[in-house]
Amino acid sequence: MSLWQDFNQGIIKENPVLRLMIGLCPTLAVSNNATNALGMSVAVAFVLICSNWVIAALRKFTPDQIRIPIFIIIISTFVTISDYIMQAYYPALYAALGVFVPLIVVNCIILGRAEAFAYKNPVLSSVLDGVGMSLGFAFALVSIGVVRELLGAGSVFGLTVFNPAVAATIMVLPPGAFITIGILMALLNKYENKVQ
Amino acid sequence: MLNSCKMGLILAVFCVISAWGLAYVYMFTQTQIAANGQIALENSTKEVLPASGQGRAVAVKARGYGGEIELLVGIDAKGVVSGLKVLNHRETPGLGANITGTKFLGQFKGKKAGDRLEAKKDIDAISGATISSRAVCFGVKEALKKTP
Repeated sequence: MSLWQDFNQGIIKENPVLRLMIGLCPTLAVSNNATNALGMSVAVAFVLICSNWVIAALRKFTPDQIRIPIFIIIISTFVTISDYIMQAYYPALYAALGVFVPLIVVNCIILGRAEAFAYKNPVLSSVLDGVGMSLGFAFALVSIGVVRELLGAGSVFGLTVFNPAVAATIMVLPPGAFITIGILMALLNKYENKVQ
Repeated sequence: MLNSCKMGLILAVFCVISAWGLAYVYMFTQTQIAANGQIALENSTKEVLPASGQGRAVAVKARGYGGEIELLVGIDAKGVVSGLKVLNHRETPGLGANITGTKFLGQFKGKKAGDRLEAKKDIDAISGATISSRAVCFGVKEALKKTP
């Protein structure tokens, strides 16, 4: 597989949320407005790229039988590092994102990519896979976030578009996430069928 | 047997490296984190008290929807709420997290001990977040009780 493919496949073709349907838990939780969705995407991108890089670099020293615990150690180390650094140097960002950072540990996209890709591929491909998957995750999360915030609160990225009194609150509540994800998946499938 | 010892050893090596890395990051971020917390607390105290700086800021905790909500209630010399700030909370982003908004918190300004503070009646609750709104009301009441 070419490097371009490693990078590209995560965005649409193997989009983690809309195609592989992994990482749905954080997707449902933080996609209720566009700002949260973007913040979570950035935090996930940092951890995913770093952990893919380290896991690929150390794959020759990782025995097969204990690879999962080792992945978890590496991932949680990066999550904690990003938590400390954000708290110390970007307190404003931390105030907005603090609740999501620990959630990254349980994001199965990261463990999934470690197991399915980084463990079997060289460093450069794995980093590119991490970048592509992060972009795919960001694309899915932000589009869900924009739709839910617009319909549910009448704004986009916190800027009011129409009177929130006529917005459908259900869209920012959990059912709105399921409805939006379902419709987005259907649209993406339709698009793929057309292309083929 | 030998094999499992080897596996354990490898895992231990990974743990030690990761612990060392974390300790290192912790060491040079900790002072900054503590300083940030101190600055934030001083700023919040200034924010909730009246411009004259008289009165006292009372920190209270109330049980919200996602965990404890830490509030800082500014009460002026006459026992009237002069300001209110949410220091820490774990409410649902987009719903309960809106308790930090000035529109909601502003409603408590001017309340004093003995005033009725009930969400949805005396205070406009945040839609979809009645439990969080009630928790803030409870916290303010507690703070007023604590102040003579």
